[in-house]
Order: sequence, then structure tokens, then C-alpha cells
Amino acid sequence: MFEVRFHGRGGQGAVMAAQTLAEAAVNEDNYAVAFPFFGAERRGAPVLAFTRIDAKKIYSKTQVYAPDCVIVLDDSLLDTIDVVSGLKPDGMVIINSKEDPDDIDLGISFRTATVNATSIALEILKAPITNTAILGAFAKATGLITIESLESSIKEKFGGKLGERAGERNALAARMAYEKTIIGTSRGIKKLESKKQWLPAYQDIPIGGALIEGKTQAGLIGPGSFIENKVSGWATFRPLRNKEKCTMCLLCWFYCPEGTIIRISDRGDLMTNYDYCKGCGICANECPVDAIKMTRARS
Amino acid sequence: MIKIKELSDVNLFTSGHTACPGCGVALSIRNAIRVLGKDTAVYVPASCAVVFGTTFPYGAWKVPFFHTAFENTGACLTGMQAAFEKKGKKVTVVGFAGDGGTYDIGLQSMSGAAERNEDVIYICLDNEAYMNTGIQRSGGTPFGAWTTTTPVGSKIQGNQRFKKNLGDIVVAHEVPYYATLSIGHPLDFIRKVEKAKNMKGFRFLHMFTPCIPGWKMDPSKTVEVTKRAVESGMWTLYEVENGEKKVTYKPGKMRSVKDYLNMQGRFRHMSEEDVNKLQMWVCKKWNLHYREKGAPDVCEIAPHDERHAITEEHREMHGP
Repeated sequence: MFEVRFHGRGGQGAVMAAQTLAEAAVNEDNYAVAFPFFGAERRGAPVLAFTRIDAKKIYSKTQVYAPDCVIVLDDSLLDTIDVVSGLKPDGMVIINSKEDPDDIDLGISFRTATVNATSIALEILKAPITNTAILGAFAKATGLITIESLESSIKEKFGGKLGERAGERNALAARMAYEKTIIGTSRGIKKLESKKQWLPAYQDIPIGGALIEGKTQAGLIGPGSFIENKVSGWATFRPLRNKEKCTMCLLCWFYCPEGTIIRISDRGDLMTNYDYCKGCGICANECPVDAIKMTRARS
Repeated sequence: MIKIKELSDVNLFTSGHTACPGCGVALSIRNAIRVLGKDTAVYVPASCAVVFGTTFPYGAWKVPFFHTAFENTGACLTGMQAAFEKKGKKVTVVGFAGDGGTYDIGLQSMSGAAERNEDVIYICLDNEAYMNTGIQRSGGTPFGAWTTTTPVGSKIQGNQRFKKNLGDIVVAHEVPYYATLSIGHPLDFIRKVEKAKNMKGFRFLHMFTPCIPGWKMDPSKTVEVTKRAVESGMWTLYEVENGEKKVTYKPGKMRSVKDYLNMQGRFRHMSEEDVNKLQMWVCKKWNLHYREKGAPDVCEIAPHDERHAITEEHREMHGP
């Protein structure tokens, strides 16, 4: 049995990718299942999806804990999540990244393939939805399915849901990624540490679950503790403000849903804290003097 | 009246919450709590706001926060207010419920609190469907809109019912204050929240909050689409204070409803006939709120502005 785990962000289409891969495998006379991890996902939040492929019937119903292949739809996830957790020693990692596999540090050496799926998606689909492109890289790197059967299952799945032209474009994105995929070996330098968690005993939690501001070994808890949750990885674009043009009307400050734009009253200035910017672009759209431009984050 | 410049720098709803990029609810909450200040206690029923604002053991609120079930915002606010009163504390008790939690599921509880004229502020964050559970139709969903429970089929396309008139239901309780708010009109927004804060009794703030995935639109257009809604008459800005109704912002000229619809993927299937049907409904609403005595009825079915229409690419990516 070949097990695949997808790491993506809500809105990138990890679930559709898992299903499309399963369908491509079925087209080649295999058995396959695909399912997502169910959670409270918002757009941009880390999500998981899984695919199992086998020549025999599949009876396993659990999540994939020891994958043969890990697919990462967004390389900013590498900083926050241990994507290779449980990956079999001869497993393969496929990452959407502009870097070569040999420059990517996963903490352990794995066979790794990279492709700049975001650029391909922006070019062909005009949106940073990288699911079909990354499947092209999967076909190239593992050889488990042919690019032809992948293309036909993409056309079928995306074409059926979004219209024929969308199906063809997505198939083209997969083909382009297939041709641009680079295969190598990741580096194993950084130290892997599992994320610390706050695991209180029942006596530690006040009655009714009422939490007051507190600090645990895993960081802040209680009111206002989300401040430690850096969400910059969600952003595809980020705003740049032209100070000369800015008239300090404060509309961007008012309209920012994240509190990314901070007002420094005593200096009469604004500051942007990119740690919390999800790149929605409301500030640039609403600026009355066009002082804010959106640029690619992490370019 | 507070201006934008005079608003507090203090973040009582911190950064790092997990709302979608461009979320209209997050935007409304941040600014409402900015005006309400730190002596506020908040109740949020089941909704997106509870998921992205508080995920145990983390939270974005820096004011006392409470959450139990979906249908009881009005009852919980009542209890919280009674407890603070007993303790001798002067606290503004505020509930942020969604349109599902107000129009449908929480209607009885809201009605009870309104009828008893409890001294609380009830805020309805109206994004026109059950977005938290994956875009199901609610009583607030407008005519023609696609949701997962009003899909686009060959015979019936999108929601067949018109948006419920919640304003009149609330006002029928003879509450001291009811107002509709839009984040696209900051000064009006701030003024109404401030006014509600300084009043006594049951105050209802009805906020129009675009939802990016549910409305299938570009995240940067959250504020723009709100302005467009007001200009076309899909959303009207008014307040009812002790039974007296006052329009607080009247757009200069009524804009074709198409200008509002074509920014969003959820309306893209609509036939000319359906658009006209919706336009008639909008005209009725416009004339009800904005027409001056003796003036003729307005109904605009003008050629629309193509500038911000959804592009072919956007359609392909976001689907029907």
C-alpha cells in the first residue's frame, strides 16, 4: 500500500488534490481512498488530507501516520510543522518551493522533489491555488501514476466542477509542473523538535473552563494569547506603504481585520507588523491615494 | 462624536486570530470593541467568531469572554448583565451573534431579551448564510444566492426566498435602539456603536459583514462590496431610536443591483429575469427607506459598471 499525506493551507485545494490523485490511481486499475482531516479550517490555516493507493482492496480507515510520500503545498509550513513526521525512511517529500531540493533542510535527509507551483499557478490559473501543479510533480517524482492519466482525471474532476476550460488549464498546470520538477535530497541539519503542548490535568483547569491570562511551557494561554500565533505564512502577497504618498487618513488602520497596521500616535506614523499579515489586500484596495502596493511575500 | 483619529490604539481583540484573510466579521468585531472599550463583557454563540477568536486554550479577546450554545445569546446576555448588576459592576454586556444565530436559531432568545428590554447590546454579524459550517442558507440569505443548501440546478437556481426583514422584527419589540451598520462607512459605524454604548436598555446593532469564501470573492474587496451594497440599496443605513426612524446615510443615486452582484461568485449564475426580480425587491426597499414624502418611486435598472466585474479567470477558479 502506498500512503500519501498532503500538507496545505485552507483554500489551496489539498482535499481536491487528494481526491484527484485517488481518481488517477483508480483510472490505472488500482484501489484508492482519499479523505481530509476534519477540523475548524479557515482559509490559509494549515490543513491535512490523505490518499491511500493499493492494488488490493483497502480496509484501513485511519489517518495516515507513516506515509510513503509527503506533499507540501506551501513551503512556509516547513517552519511551523514537522511535515516529515512518521515518513518512512525510503519515503519521498514533494514541496512547492522555489528552492532546489538540496537547499531544503528537513532535519533528516530524504529524497525530495521541488517545484515552484505557486508561480505556475499564478501564471496559468491566475490564483495561488497549487493543488494541480503539485500533482504533476508527484507524477514525475514517484512515477506511481502517469502524467497522462493524471491529466485526464484532472480534466474530469475540475472540468466537471468548474467548467471545461478550468479543467484544461489545471491539467496544463500539472503538465508544466511535471516538466519543471527537480529531484534531489534534502539536507538534515536543523534539529527537529516536537511542538510543545499544554496538556493540563483536570485539576489545572478552573471550573467551567474559565481561563485567565497565564503562561505555560508551551507559551501563553487565556485572553489575548493569540498574539503568539504568527500568521505571516498565510500570505501570498503583502502590503508596502509609500510614506511620501501617505496622508495618514488611517483608513488602512481602521480597515485591517488583523491589526497588522499599528498606529504610533506619539510619532504620528504607521507601522506594519508582517507577523500578522494574511495578505488580504483591503488596505491597498481602500487607500484613497494609492500609497499601498501589494507585492509577493517571500519572493 | 469620535473620529477615526480619536479611536483607541489598544487592541482588545488581538492579532493572530485565525479568521480568513479579508474577513468582514473580524473587521467589524475589532472596530466595535475599539469603541466599546475595556469595560465590556462579550458573549459569542456558535459561529465563525468563536472559532477564529477563541480556540481553547487560546483566545484573542482581552475582555471577559463567554461562550455556550448556539440558540441562547439573548438569555446569556440577560444572565451576564444580572450578575454584573448584582456585583455592582458597571459593564457593557455585548453579544456578537451571526445571522444564523439571530435570524433563525437564536430568534426566540433574542426576542425574549428584547421584550424584557434587558440592558445589553446585541450585535448581529450578518454574512447572509451559515458560513462557519460551510455555507448553508439562513433566513438572511438574499434572493438568488448560491449556498450548499440552495444549489444551482437546471430548474431552481440559488435561493428562492428574499432576505428576512429582521429590522422590523426587532423594532416591533419597541426597543430603545436599532441600527444597521456598514464597515464601508466608518464614521457612521463609529457613531452608532458609540451611541449604543451610551444608551440604556436593549440595543440592537445590525452589521453587514462580507464573507470571502461564502460570497466567493476577492479578499481585498471586503470593504468595497459593502459600499456597493449600500449604494445599490441591498443594504440600507438607518437607525430607529425609541420608535423614531432616521436614515443616516442616503446614497446620491441608486446604483444598479448588478454592480453589487457581479463582484461575487455566489450570484454569477443568475438569469436576467432573476436579476430583475431582485432589482424590484431592492427598489421597494429603497423607496421604503429613502423616498421623501411626495417624491416619485425610484427604480433603476441601469446599464452597470463593468470595471470590477468578476473576470473569466476568477470564475474558473471559484466555480459556480
